[in-house]
Amino acid sequence: MALVDLLLVVGIIAGVYSLLAIGMNMHWGDTGLLNFAHAAFFAVGAYTSAILTTPPATGDLATRVVGFDFPILVGLLAGTALAGLVGVLIAITSVRLEGDYLAMVTLSSAELIRLMIHNEAWLTTGAQTLKNIPRPLSGMVSPGGTIPVSYDVFYFVLVWAIVGVCYLLFTRLSHSPFGRVLHAIRENDDVPLALGKNITTFKLKSFGIGAAIAGLAGGLWAHYVYAISSIMFLPSITFLIWAAVIIGGAGSYAGAIVGASVIVFLRQITRFIPGDVPFGDQLAYIRLMVVGAVLILVLYYRPEGLLGDAERLQAGTSE
Amino acid sequence: MVLDPQLVWNGLVVGSIIAVSALGLTLIFGILNFINIAYGDYMAAGAYVAWAVNAQVGLPLGVAIVAGILTMSVGAVVLDKLVFQHFRTRSPITLLIVSIGLAFIIRNFIRAIWGPSGHFYDLPMEANPSFLGVRFSVEQVAIMVVSLLLLLGVYALLRRTRIGIAMRAASDDRMLSRIRGVDTEKLVLYVWLIGGAIAGLGGIMLGLDAQLRPNMGFTALIPIFAAVILGGIGDPKGAVAGGYTIGVAQEVSVAVIPSEYKFGVGLVALIVGLLTRPDGLFGEATR
Repeated sequence: MALVDLLLVVGIIAGVYSLLAIGMNMHWGDTGLLNFAHAAFFAVGAYTSAILTTPPATGDLATRVVGFDFPILVGLLAGTALAGLVGVLIAITSVRLEGDYLAMVTLSSAELIRLMIHNEAWLTTGAQTLKNIPRPLSGMVSPGGTIPVSYDVFYFVLVWAIVGVCYLLFTRLSHSPFGRVLHAIRENDDVPLALGKNITTFKLKSFGIGAAIAGLAGGLWAHYVYAISSIMFLPSITFLIWAAVIIGGAGSYAGAIVGASVIVFLRQITRFIPGDVPFGDQLAYIRLMVVGAVLILVLYYRPEGLLGDAERLQAGTSE
Repeated sequence: MVLDPQLVWNGLVVGSIIAVSALGLTLIFGILNFINIAYGDYMAAGAYVAWAVNAQVGLPLGVAIVAGILTMSVGAVVLDKLVFQHFRTRSPITLLIVSIGLAFIIRNFIRAIWGPSGHFYDLPMEANPSFLGVRFSVEQVAIMVVSLLLLLGVYALLRRTRIGIAMRAASDDRMLSRIRGVDTEKLVLYVWLIGGAIAGLGGIMLGLDAQLRPNMGFTALIPIFAAVILGGIGDPKGAVAGGYTIGVAQEVSVAVIPSEYKFGVGLVALIVGLLTRPDGLFGEATR
């Protein structure tokens, strides 16, 4: 594989992670909500879109009986909507809780959703991979086709165009009256309450919108990788996205994108290193240790992150 | 519905492990006031050190278990000096995220040293005896007995020793205890020594009951969280009661629901419990 092709793949993954980080920044950066269920929203988006666009397999190994043949756009939109809905449902049970409780409940809820995906084979193919997920415009995009570029180039442009649109949308939202109420909630619940704002409703909306974007990321991921399985959606994804938002700078959508790209590059960097270096077998683990160390060092030396706003750091500190 | 005594017994064994582990986590929270996400990885590290001493060095399992517990006890203090100490004045949320970074480091360190696949303790193979129709293994009895001894030991420590009383005081009211002359840093040292040892023991018991995997502790965190929350976060008695409750509920549920979903039982209990009693089963409405 040439270097350009590798960079394209890493770029596509970085784009998907950027969308996840944008959603997380809505929760934590804008509203100060501790969401540890992000991997579940990612999974709901991926599976919803995959099930709606991929008919069930036939033959002896067919475990899934539910499957449709809708256009991919329908799948993506449904995945986005359903992930948002699941986000609201999880938030309804837990959003009134204190920070630590919220973290533990959302983390646990996410694992419960993954447990369902893993066990309900009739719907999700269960422990096996859900294969043959269609790729958008796959018949038209090829160096000799209607759209004369390689598929990775096309998908790279598609994902980053969506990241760009989301960046603009969320930055605007953050500066809108709605966003200002979220910031007020982040700083101190009592102020918006005194102004007669229904805090719980705002928190639910924030949770739903952020989760929906994670669902969109899931759909884009599923339609790129052909096959998905429940082990792709472990809590470590949630933690990596947290690391991305913190390193990039909580409260900054540009920071979320930069942070996600840094994390993905750190994780994928070993693809660029020849295999015969010392510790070659351990590289996969060493790079995740590096992510952990970078996260701690950033929190110590630059708590506002690369592009964050130092003023925002006051959030969540009021006991 | 008649309770199957076999399931109740299994539940008590699993409950012992959850109760002990939840006690460690809740003690740490009581003094340091943050959720240590890396706690599950402390458990795994303790289990792996014991495995290495037993299977790789070849020392008897008893010695290996003590080595694993001591390593985590000292290890927790060292990690505090290296990492958490520098964040004492920061918010609980920052500390929680710092502990996520630490969890990444510990878990992948384990994978790098001992590989990603599972290991088993070197246990003698013997037929499991049964009593009144309940099959049990020697390890299960050992887990039950050791857990009870540990719980009694910690109870005595919290009730009878100066350091234990200071811990309860600090966990109840940090400011007041500081004003009354309790040395917080000394408490922090002790709580890591005790909490780290408990984490190591919990991890070893998990490994005895099943097998060792790099993410074993993290997977165990969910029922441990459920126990901690059910009992009221920071409340030692509650954590233990919550642990046994979750363990038994989880195993007994197998009679009614598919066993894959038994981990969901603790979660559902947790959510229902939180909605009805936000301060935990034994919590007082102080928060």
